[in-house]
Amino acid sequence: MSNSIPLKTALRIAWRESRASAAKFAFVILAVAVGVGSLTGVRGFSRAFRTMLLQDARTLMAADMTVRVFELPTPEQQQLFDSFASRGIDRTWITETVSMLSAPSMTAPLLVAVKAVEPAKYPFYGEIKTLDNRPLSEMLAGASIAVSDDLLVRGGVKQGDRVKLGGEEFVIAGVLTYEPDRMSGSVNVGPRVMITRPNLEKAGLLQPGSRSSQRFLFRFPPLKADAMIQSTRGELTKAFPDGVIADYRQTHPLITRGLDNATNFLSLVSLIALVVGSLGVAMAMQSHLQQKLDSIAIMKSLGGRSSQILRIYLLQAMMLAMAGGAAGLAVGVIVQKAFPLLIARFFPVAPVVEFAWMSILEGFGLSILSTLLFVLPPLLSIRQIRPILIFRRDMEGVPAPLKERWKQWRAPIAAGLLICFGVAGMASFLIDAPNLQIAARIGGWFVGGLIGALLLLLGLSWLLLRGLRKLSRVAVLRLPTLARHGLANLYRPGNHAEAVLVAFSLGVMFTLTIYLLQHSLLSQIAASAPPGMPNVFLINITSTDREDVNAFLKARKDVEGNPEVIATAAGHLKLIDGRAMNETTLKGPARRFLRARTITWSREMPPQSEILHGAWWKNPDPKTPLVSVLDDAAKALDLRVGAGTEWEVSGKRISARVVAVHRNESVRPGSNAEFVFSPGALDSAPVLYFAAVRAAPAHIPVLQKASFEKFPAITVINLADVLDRVQEVIDQVALVVRFISAFAILAGVIILASSIAGSRLRRVREVVILKTLGATRAKVAAIFSVEFCILGLVAGVMGSLLAVAFTNVLMARVLDAEFRFEWAPNFVAVAGSALIAILAGWMASFRILGQKPLEILRGE
Amino acid sequence: MASTETQPAICVRDLHKSIATATHTVDILRGLSFDVPRGQFVAIMGASGSGKSTLLGLLAGLDNASSGSIQLDGEEITGLDEDSLARLRARKLGFVFQSYQLIPTLTAEENVLLPAELAGVNGASAERARALLENVGLAERCDHYPVQLSGGEQQRVALARAFVLKPPILMADEPTGNLDTANGSVVLDLLLTLNKQEGTTLVMVTHDPALAARADRRIMMRDGVIIADEQ
Repeated sequence: MSNSIPLKTALRIAWRESRASAAKFAFVILAVAVGVGSLTGVRGFSRAFRTMLLQDARTLMAADMTVRVFELPTPEQQQLFDSFASRGIDRTWITETVSMLSAPSMTAPLLVAVKAVEPAKYPFYGEIKTLDNRPLSEMLAGASIAVSDDLLVRGGVKQGDRVKLGGEEFVIAGVLTYEPDRMSGSVNVGPRVMITRPNLEKAGLLQPGSRSSQRFLFRFPPLKADAMIQSTRGELTKAFPDGVIADYRQTHPLITRGLDNATNFLSLVSLIALVVGSLGVAMAMQSHLQQKLDSIAIMKSLGGRSSQILRIYLLQAMMLAMAGGAAGLAVGVIVQKAFPLLIARFFPVAPVVEFAWMSILEGFGLSILSTLLFVLPPLLSIRQIRPILIFRRDMEGVPAPLKERWKQWRAPIAAGLLICFGVAGMASFLIDAPNLQIAARIGGWFVGGLIGALLLLLGLSWLLLRGLRKLSRVAVLRLPTLARHGLANLYRPGNHAEAVLVAFSLGVMFTLTIYLLQHSLLSQIAASAPPGMPNVFLINITSTDREDVNAFLKARKDVEGNPEVIATAAGHLKLIDGRAMNETTLKGPARRFLRARTITWSREMPPQSEILHGAWWKNPDPKTPLVSVLDDAAKALDLRVGAGTEWEVSGKRISARVVAVHRNESVRPGSNAEFVFSPGALDSAPVLYFAAVRAAPAHIPVLQKASFEKFPAITVINLADVLDRVQEVIDQVALVVRFISAFAILAGVIILASSIAGSRLRRVREVVILKTLGATRAKVAAIFSVEFCILGLVAGVMGSLLAVAFTNVLMARVLDAEFRFEWAPNFVAVAGSALIAILAGWMASFRILGQKPLEILRGE
Repeated sequence: MASTETQPAICVRDLHKSIATATHTVDILRGLSFDVPRGQFVAIMGASGSGKSTLLGLLAGLDNASSGSIQLDGEEITGLDEDSLARLRARKLGFVFQSYQLIPTLTAEENVLLPAELAGVNGASAERARALLENVGLAERCDHYPVQLSGGEQQRVALARAFVLKPPILMADEPTGNLDTANGSVVLDLLLTLNKQEGTTLVMVTHDPALAARADRRIMMRDGVIIADEQ
């Protein structure tokens, strides 16, 4: 007789057991599949979408990363570029400068924004659109240039005309209608002229001392952008202390915030899906093993050792996990394949769902790992099952001494710790944190929060159940018989009402949290999205023209709503708290403050702004100027609320105290001014105005032409294309959030249902006894309904309470937003929980009700 | 301790068992002492609640005694841990229960084979399982699940299972208690025949006097003590 049971035998026994009760196992497999499906599905989608969204974000700067400087690169900087090339980072060079363009048909030369590019490479992302759809490299070949459509309007020239730029003559070979990185370039002072670098040199526009800026665009190797972005940025910052570095995550404040929030949200949902999925797996396994108590006791009485039986059931659990995992992945595959078709109905661009083996393996591994972790406690309880259970089911032995009990508790405590570490590990893995330390911290917080929630739920459900019981005993509240029985059912030995309540409330809490989060996130996104935002800007309006421009805009039918006219001035920051601003005190990008900056004044906070520190003014005294600083500028200058600043505006000194630091998400050139003064502060300074209006994109060229005819000195900037793109990205973020939330909520509902359905077998005996004693089906049904309804209501209330608290914390800590309580979703959650509990209970108990008592009694 | 031919198969000394209910502690066995020689068929009798099933459970190492000593085949079993007890059962004990206790998800043959598999004995046991099933008249029903068998048939499968590892001691708890007279007598005959064939020591709990009459010895219990011990 050998001592241990061979793996083959254990496998055989495990397999035989599962084969014989296929229907029961199908349910366990389904629960695991839903768990795995929700985990891998959510993760797969969010990955595909993140890629898609970032792709769109990239097109707005035509690159993964850019650096902008005012000098040509030094040999050391060139060396860094070469080392980038060896790492597979692609590079292209753009030079931007301002020049005059003239043509025989023009009365005066025109100020134009010249952009020299390498047509073979530029742009890395997005595309240049032209009137006749010809590629840029073809248009810029030879002595030719491409110009923006507004140049044709303002210069009175057409495609094919010869124009003079610098010292050379060029042919207008193409008309640009869209330039992906238009927002990222230098100031849009005039119509665009695009040219090759050799032609720019030939035109003599690259003379030393000319005010040109250099922008280097980088593209990272595919799929490595996220990994390389941090280190590359670090190297660039070191090599270009005066450079302005940007990456695709910060192409536009709206997109940056939207992406950040969506990414955080998706990581959170992944985590929640993990817990909800694991919860499903754990509950399925727990109820499965619960039903095996007798078989385990029989095996023990036949000489089976705990370790052998553990091995058999562990193998069985693994088989179930693998089958469930495979089924979950299959569902995931089908949905992911079908999804692009579905989304294509709403959006012209479909996400590229990559089908990577890595993510499949990852999902499968996570499902096995979470199953293993969560079956540990029920598996370990096999050791506690005494074979004497066959004789006496309901009695406990004499309480063991404390030392013995501690011995018995050691394994479950160890298992609990293992689960905590395991879940923390998985959470750290899923959150995609930038480094290990942050990942570990998030994992720790997550598990800590989960344990806290569990303890709180256990305490709450204990209290609520006790309270209900007390209430039901009060003579005044004498309930009808059926209700009394239903209520009493909650306290019957072996009902585990507390465990079901905790599991159910946890499900309600996560499901509702996802809903509340997505709801707040969506309204936040909707509030900041471009519809209604100005998309045409008229700049350089003088005080004399101001009223005329206002009247002109108001009179035009193609302008939607009221035009906003805002004053700007040029101000030079001289002192901060008495400290002079010079080359030694200002480093890096902060050196831009050595030059005059655009400043403005306003009574109200600018639209799309948010105060980060301090407070906006109410009725300020015009004699004591106050200033609010944009967060970027405040950071660069280390300016805090309370600091004193001294300015030179048109030769006059102005002192202003910093009272607020604000953030701005608008796209108005000029309105996102770094310094906003209180009213009256700039009264004596000469100011220029700019107007921001909204017009239908199709009408903008006409508006541009009319404006030029009436006010030739005023530049009209058309940002409709760019704003459309921003809107598209934001719409996509909203769609992703909505879709993944729906998915996670559905998984939550299924798992909720399964937690109730898991109690099915415990009810069989009860139904039989009730029926034997003469209860009709309808009576039994009514008793169960009362029980399920109470369970659902109590779980709904507890889950909602926790969800509100949880969402509140997450909104403040992770999503950096404000939470507003609403009754409706909470009410729906409570009523919905009761309904789900009743429905699920019914679906699980339906067959039991039809069973003949003798079948069960005989089978006992 | 090595077993020798002269040692009794079972040796019980001052055996006590108490269990706690929610409100108080019940003394089920109160100081039992007796020996069972090898090959003897002992019937343990008593009214419901006299402690006979508890005694059987303790003898089989299915539960721990509160105090006292039990030796099976010369081996002390009180104080052994779960796994050692399981190993001992696999080597030395067969079991027949009143309510059969077959595993519902296994076929008749797989149920019979299970103790051999748990003991890590393979090879010839499949043939022995089939032979035993043939012996109890169920050769044709090897592939049936318990739910497809009648009570008498289920108990016959349980008998085959009890003998599959040729245990020196067999414990039977009211083996005919759930069966009608005809089926009961078939099962009892089979049990006694197999017992004789295999030379097993048989301890049977029953409150059927007719059944007890066929035993070599009858131990009568009441309130946890032995009130009569007749050869």
